[in-house]
Amino acid sequence: MKSNLANLRPLWTGLTVVAALAATGVLLRPFEQPAWVWVQARQPALRLDSIKGALGQGVTVGLLGGFRAIVADFFWLKTNSVWEDSDLPATQTFIKLVTAIDPRPLYFWQNGARMIAYDMPHWRIAAGGGYEAVPPAEQRRIDREQAEVALRYLHEAFVHHPDSPWIHIEIANIYINRLKDYGAGAEAYRNAALLPGAPFFPARIHAEMLRRLGRNAEAYAWLKSVYPTLPKEVNASKKITQFHVDSAMAPVFLERIRELEQELNIPKGDSFIP
Amino acid sequence: MRAAHHAVPFSLARLGIVAGNTFLEAVRQKLFGFLLLLAVALVASAQLFREFNFGSSELKFIADFGLGAMVFFGSTLTIAATAQLFFSEIENRTALTLLAKPVWRTEFIFGKFLGVFTVVGVFCALTTGLLVGLLYQRETALMAASPEAFAQGCLIHYGDLVLIGVLQWLKFGVLAAATLLIASFSNTNLYTVVMGFFVLVICHLQYLARDAYAQVASLPLRLLVQVLGYVFPNFQLFNVADQIGVGAALDPLVFVRVAAYALIYIGVFCGLAVYSFSRREI
Repeated sequence: MKSNLANLRPLWTGLTVVAALAATGVLLRPFEQPAWVWVQARQPALRLDSIKGALGQGVTVGLLGGFRAIVADFFWLKTNSVWEDSDLPATQTFIKLVTAIDPRPLYFWQNGARMIAYDMPHWRIAAGGGYEAVPPAEQRRIDREQAEVALRYLHEAFVHHPDSPWIHIEIANIYINRLKDYGAGAEAYRNAALLPGAPFFPARIHAEMLRRLGRNAEAYAWLKSVYPTLPKEVNASKKITQFHVDSAMAPVFLERIRELEQELNIPKGDSFIP
Repeated sequence: MRAAHHAVPFSLARLGIVAGNTFLEAVRQKLFGFLLLLAVALVASAQLFREFNFGSSELKFIADFGLGAMVFFGSTLTIAATAQLFFSEIENRTALTLLAKPVWRTEFIFGKFLGVFTVVGVFCALTTGLLVGLLYQRETALMAASPEAFAQGCLIHYGDLVLIGVLQWLKFGVLAAATLLIASFSNTNLYTVVMGFFVLVICHLQYLARDAYAQVASLPLRLLVQVLGYVFPNFQLFNVADQIGVGAALDPLVFVRVAAYALIYIGVFCGLAVYSFSRREI
């Protein structure tokens, strides 16, 4: 009987250790949780949905070792290698893998979306016999399909970059250049312009798109609302540099306002006063 | 062989002697020098890999790369050194001689832990110091070349970088304590090293079990995943370095919480290692 109990001792010790560790985990969870929420909020890659695309690809050790950036860079090289071969399935897979491994750099999202929306339609048309062989309606269908894939991909980027104007700008360009949907493009440029830290050009292009759609009154109102917010001169105390002044292009905004006043027949007395 | 320590009270001095000997033994090993050299070389070569960087800013890439080298080689050093230093005492029969004297097994286990923890501390201090120097030198050069990009001030919070080094050290401490727990019941060095790496991987992926358990349909499997989520500590909690290189700062309260979390786990793992080792015949 005694020897039977002695045989069970390692099992008993093991169970005690596991139970003690589980109890520690339970007791520490409320203490750990606020810190974990903080860490996870700053690293969207630390979410199950983000990582599951990358697991099982032989990159786990790299990720665990902390080499997330360099593993992603390696796969980005691989993406470009298959892109040069116009290998559509491989390129699409690697594009998604790169952003699954490291969703932080905007560069991957922007360039991945461009490959999907701008290059892949040409590959598909070439595979179908070229522009002479593929009917225009079919070409438009392919363009639309690829643009939609790219837009879905860019919308995934919002999980990681909710406040980035550059994702909105990329979306706007796809609507305008691939889908010829100026309304949706104008809206995306407007979304970009409204974000803090946005560059100045999306506000100007939003107005241009409205003009193209014949919505001149809207464009005029928009430009008038934006113009006072533009930096017009260097101000060190407000951290306004020459670069800010040059890139804001306030004189061009004013020129557009004057053009629209003429087109809308705004009386001289009611014209915008800068 | 198990009752010798009852004759004398617990002594921090004896614990310190065990820790000091463990530290000296560790730094004399080729493994420490080799891994330290590799880590230092890799951190220092981060600048050479700049051309390989596509996505992040240059400083962010250097910080990521340097911390990656620290985590990778630090984990390897922690597991290998802990297992080797523990089993060298068992295999050379010095543990038998030592524990025949009035030395508590608690003193032996905690002494071993402190010795390894100090070695890993030296490793972390050297690699963090090198990374701080490298980033400072590069940031100063970039500030001189394009001051407008640094209109908001420095991008690197060097104090935070040091705190991150401290957190990595504490994480290695948890890993060393967990490896000691495995060694306390294991029969071979190899088994301990392999299990140590398994624990490292599981602790890094523990957060996935936490996220995944709600999505598991089968109740027994869900319970198992939930228990796994509680048994292993969450090593991704120490992954606070993402803010380095983008101008953001580390919340001091988060640092305190994570550090306390590590210290509690170190205490628990070492305590369990003592419990397990005290029931072992050597």
